[in-house]
Amino acid sequence: MSNDWEPKIVAFFCTWCTYTAADLAGISRMTYAPNGRIVRVMCSGRIDPQFVLKAFADGADGVLIGGCHPGDCHYQAGNYKALRRYTLLKRVLTEMGIEPERLRLEWISASEGDRVQKVMNEMAEQVRRLGPLHLEKASRRAQVKEKEREAVGVRS
Amino acid sequence: MPETNGAPKIGVYVCHCGVNIAAKVNVSEVVEFAQKLPFVTVAREYKFMCSDPGQELIQQDLREGKVNRVVVASCSPLMHEATFRRATAEGGQNPFFFQMANIREHVSWVTEDERDATEKAKALIAAAVRRVAVHQPLERKRVPVHPHVLVVGAGIAGIEAALKIADAGKKVYLVEREPTIGGHMAKFDKTFPTLDCAACILTPKMTQVRAHPNIELLTYSEVESVEPYDLRNFKVRIRRKARYVNEDTCTGCGLCADVCPVTVPSEFDEGLGTRKAIYRPFPQAVPNVFTISRRGTPPCQAACSIHQNAQGYITLIAQGKFKEALEVILRDNPLPSICGRICTHPCTLNCTRATVDEPLNIPGLKRFVTDLFPDYKLPQPKANRSERIAIVGSGPAGLMCAYELRQRGYWPTIYEAQPVPGGMLALGIPAFRLPRDVITKEINRLKEIGIEIKTNTPLGKAITLEQLRKHYAAVFIGIGAHVERKLKIPGEDLPNVWGGIEFLRRVNLEGPFKLGEKVLVIGGGNSAIDAARTALRCGAKEVTIVYRRTRAEMPADPKEIAAAEEEGVTMIFLAAPKTILGSKETGVTGLECLRMKLGAPDASGRPAPEPIPGSEFVLSCDAIIATIGQVPDIASLGEQLGIETTKWGTFKVDGVTLETNVPGVFAGGDCVTGPDVVVNAMYAGKKAAISIDRYLNKLDMRAGRELEGPYRTEYAIDTSGTPVQKQIPMPAIELGRRRTFDEVHTGYTQELAIAEAKRCLDCAICCDCRLCSTVCEPKAINYEMKDKIEEIVVGAIILATGFKTFDPRRAPYTGYGRYDNVLTALEFERMVNSAGPTGGKILLKNGKEPKSIGIIHCVGSRDKRFNPYCSRVCCMYSLKFAHLVKERTKAEVYNFYIDLRAFGKGYEEFYNRVLSEGARLIRGNIGEVTDVALSPEEEGKLIIRVEDTLAGVVRRIPVDMVILATGLEPQADAEEVRRKFSISCSKEGWFLERHPKLAPVSTFTDGVFIAGTCQGPKDIPDAVAQAGAAAAEALALIDRGFVELEPNTAFIQEELCSGCKTCIPLCPFNAISFTSEKGIAVINEALCKGCGTCVAACPSGAAQQHLFTDEQIYEEIEGVLSYV
Repeated sequence: MSNDWEPKIVAFFCTWCTYTAADLAGISRMTYAPNGRIVRVMCSGRIDPQFVLKAFADGADGVLIGGCHPGDCHYQAGNYKALRRYTLLKRVLTEMGIEPERLRLEWISASEGDRVQKVMNEMAEQVRRLGPLHLEKASRRAQVKEKEREAVGVRS
Repeated sequence: MPETNGAPKIGVYVCHCGVNIAAKVNVSEVVEFAQKLPFVTVAREYKFMCSDPGQELIQQDLREGKVNRVVVASCSPLMHEATFRRATAEGGQNPFFFQMANIREHVSWVTEDERDATEKAKALIAAAVRRVAVHQPLERKRVPVHPHVLVVGAGIAGIEAALKIADAGKKVYLVEREPTIGGHMAKFDKTFPTLDCAACILTPKMTQVRAHPNIELLTYSEVESVEPYDLRNFKVRIRRKARYVNEDTCTGCGLCADVCPVTVPSEFDEGLGTRKAIYRPFPQAVPNVFTISRRGTPPCQAACSIHQNAQGYITLIAQGKFKEALEVILRDNPLPSICGRICTHPCTLNCTRATVDEPLNIPGLKRFVTDLFPDYKLPQPKANRSERIAIVGSGPAGLMCAYELRQRGYWPTIYEAQPVPGGMLALGIPAFRLPRDVITKEINRLKEIGIEIKTNTPLGKAITLEQLRKHYAAVFIGIGAHVERKLKIPGEDLPNVWGGIEFLRRVNLEGPFKLGEKVLVIGGGNSAIDAARTALRCGAKEVTIVYRRTRAEMPADPKEIAAAEEEGVTMIFLAAPKTILGSKETGVTGLECLRMKLGAPDASGRPAPEPIPGSEFVLSCDAIIATIGQVPDIASLGEQLGIETTKWGTFKVDGVTLETNVPGVFAGGDCVTGPDVVVNAMYAGKKAAISIDRYLNKLDMRAGRELEGPYRTEYAIDTSGTPVQKQIPMPAIELGRRRTFDEVHTGYTQELAIAEAKRCLDCAICCDCRLCSTVCEPKAINYEMKDKIEEIVVGAIILATGFKTFDPRRAPYTGYGRYDNVLTALEFERMVNSAGPTGGKILLKNGKEPKSIGIIHCVGSRDKRFNPYCSRVCCMYSLKFAHLVKERTKAEVYNFYIDLRAFGKGYEEFYNRVLSEGARLIRGNIGEVTDVALSPEEEGKLIIRVEDTLAGVVRRIPVDMVILATGLEPQADAEEVRRKFSISCSKEGWFLERHPKLAPVSTFTDGVFIAGTCQGPKDIPDAVAQAGAAAAEALALIDRGFVELEPNTAFIQEELCSGCKTCIPLCPFNAISFTSEKGIAVINEALCKGCGTCVAACPSGAAQQHLFTDEQIYEEIEGVLSYV
């Protein structure tokens, strides 16, 4: 690896769709950015918002969540639950001063190896543009935001 | 958490996978890195960890106590996790003290740079090491597998799989949505390369399926839903579509199809041949039973208030089966010769033919039949009962009510106020439209079946309602609307100012009388037209209709308007009467009118006429007939009868039952609705009869009556090929005779009626004529049959749902659909089949034998515009076609190919054989098929324009017939089906196998297997082989009788659970419940499928998932992020 900074991305993939798609990308020898680190779960519904927060706390610059397309969940509706938590998480991250663009949710079916390649590349590029996540800075950003709000009389 | 096998001693084993991993990942560096990770005692590398010596490495370290937990960094866990868990177990440790790092699919195969790959591999290994250190020993649970198997689709693959499983002694449900099994193969003539006759090798298997005691064959059925029955078995709901023929009693004799009047294109013959509405796709069908194609109620019948089965009798007329047509007519209508003349035929407004040219003349056809059998009789009642019913009024409502009640066995007596029966039919409609003897005959027919009619007996005068209620079980009042509405303008009381009905009644009862020379008729409805035409026949020199809107808004039947004009009636539009001029002495001398203009639409949706101030003008005349509507004569009657009335002066009745406020007294027709058409009055009579029958039997009068009366149905009917052929006009007497009361229209002749009837588009396919049931000896036909849902439980499912062929209409360059002699492969299969529509003769549309044939390969396949893949069978069947053409004709054959793929056993040899038979092969993509001739020898031919890539020239090959080697595509509903069975599809829509090489018939859903072309294009031998493989997989599963489940269920740590119940509604399998004694949630392990959704939502962390605890995933996250 060069000395230049490279983003670290944790990817939580559901075993039935996106993880299998990542295997397919491999079988099809589709090369993509090496920044993503895949953690396998049985269902995107298993992804506790704390996993995402922990990843950011432990040094991830970006987090990717991959699940089955709506209607395709192996467990009926886990992906919908993931979607709800994701929406909430985006707001929490914003409050914490973390750019919400560091978190991405994608529906990728088992046959969409090319989509894994595309999304992994896009995500690496996106996070690279945002630069490294420094939690202390993020926290300061959050404080500034809080002050701005107080200045205009809004209490959080 | 307690550790169960002492402090972790982790062994890390990094696989080279030949060069698959080692070429990108610096394995030695990774091993060196792994050695330094916490708890790692051993780190090794090996060429192939999955090989026996590789596994032995692990087992030896375990046995020697060097390690007690294992990490293998190699391929995907979806590939070899089971292998290494087994190795761990054989080394003496719990198999779940194992974790895999996927450094092949997720690293070496997808990473460009070696450095990056090595670092990524290290991260994944670090994560696996940290994770495995907190793994727990787990036990797998065994669950029983139900021994029955479901096979979906009964083409060759489904048949083969079902037979294999059944032969092994297991019960198979074989579901097929078509009426017969056999699939595409049953349509083929010969099969390549052996040229076996497809039927000869397939039909014995089909017969075996039918006869096999272990196969339950469910044809004409579709899987409705698949649900988990328990952890590993399936509860499947199957829709048994109604075939309207009892499968158990039908003998397949075929007499029904012989008499069936409806002919439609045969799906089995790809539209080249025809079949009947009751049909069996082909003679060797299994089961050998017939099926009726019924779309439902045809639009014409649905639109008819009394649901007269128009399609039924029209289809029979077209066949010349007039007697049978009459029977169909009489099924619903006791007054057909009246309705055939004067019904306003709402049926034709909904006729599908109107979207092509003009609707059918449905009433005209009905009239034709009744004219043909002037002495027909009404059906005799099937039962006799004691109750007598009183009916007041002998108009269409009363007559219909009486008929319907008599058919149910009651004895109706009709009381009529006038001297003649028939109500408005006899009083309001002139004889030149409805001859009196027609009415008399209809009424006599009703009398013949036991209906009594008493004329000159008005209610309220000659007889009271009290008397009727006392002497009869129920009463129906249908006294019509005979009181003229007033113009409410000055001069209305002058002599020779008539109401329309008043005038018509007098002419009808007393005969024609001289009204005047110059008659004005006010109004625009059918009565106005009738009055005007009657006035002409009464000797008026000049008759003018004055209407306040325009012709477009006239409510009268356009045909009647046209007839009136033909006879000399003139019309003045946009004129409203203001004052009638004249005096008692002079009588009427003229009508002062106001000019009108059309304004905004009113409540009826028609533009409201608005007077133009100061536009008065005078029309001179000596008689005026005002036809502006009538009201019922109940102003005085209602109160006297004790029946509630409405503010419009009509009887108030219950909309569903037609019962009045007086129990047992019903009312309907114009006296309830205000003036309306004949068929609606009949509908009211019928409706009341149904209510009365239920009333007397003390049944619910309201239940299940939603579909009574007119409604709309529409069917998507392909009318694209229907030639325009307008309605055949009904012959009429010459104009010279139109000053008498002779009937104007003389009715269709047989030839005209048949020609008109043949215009019917058979909207509902089966026309419900019920001829088939008259010839069916075993009485197998049941028109009332409904779809049924059957529920079964199975342990394994094999999907063999097949393919559809590419539709070449999507590829206009082929000329398909534009040129007659361009055929698809399946069409040619049927043509060349000796049991097919041409008896195996290769013929052009004009019946001649072609002199040259072009076969175009790769239509819809290997083409970026359509499907990128090769359909695998087209090359070979195209060569087979070339052979068959050579064998049966003297035609020249050209095959246009891109590459020739003859990969199977005996295929190359077959290719050489066909070449030696003289088939010509031209390599090159087709530009187009055209009929534009550039030279005399191209005239009348189809010219195939092709770039011959071997010769390097563009050529034009004229041929007589073109066969398109259409490719294979996933079934249109593949997406829906795969969702039902929770499996995946490839991008193209083929069902996705678990592994393209090592698990070709398994899917990602345990217990669901795939076979045949639903997985991808393949030929018969491959489909059969795959079916065998799927059968073996299913058998392996059910024969063992149990499966071991991945122990990844969720559990509750009781001491942490706060009893908040967050998890309970989240569980899709209802596995979580709340125990009130402990105040906590409990998870039923037998229902948990291990998704972990509850775990993610648990606020206190009490819910956890085996194999995926929070701790394990945290370690993994830390591992991938913090190794450097």
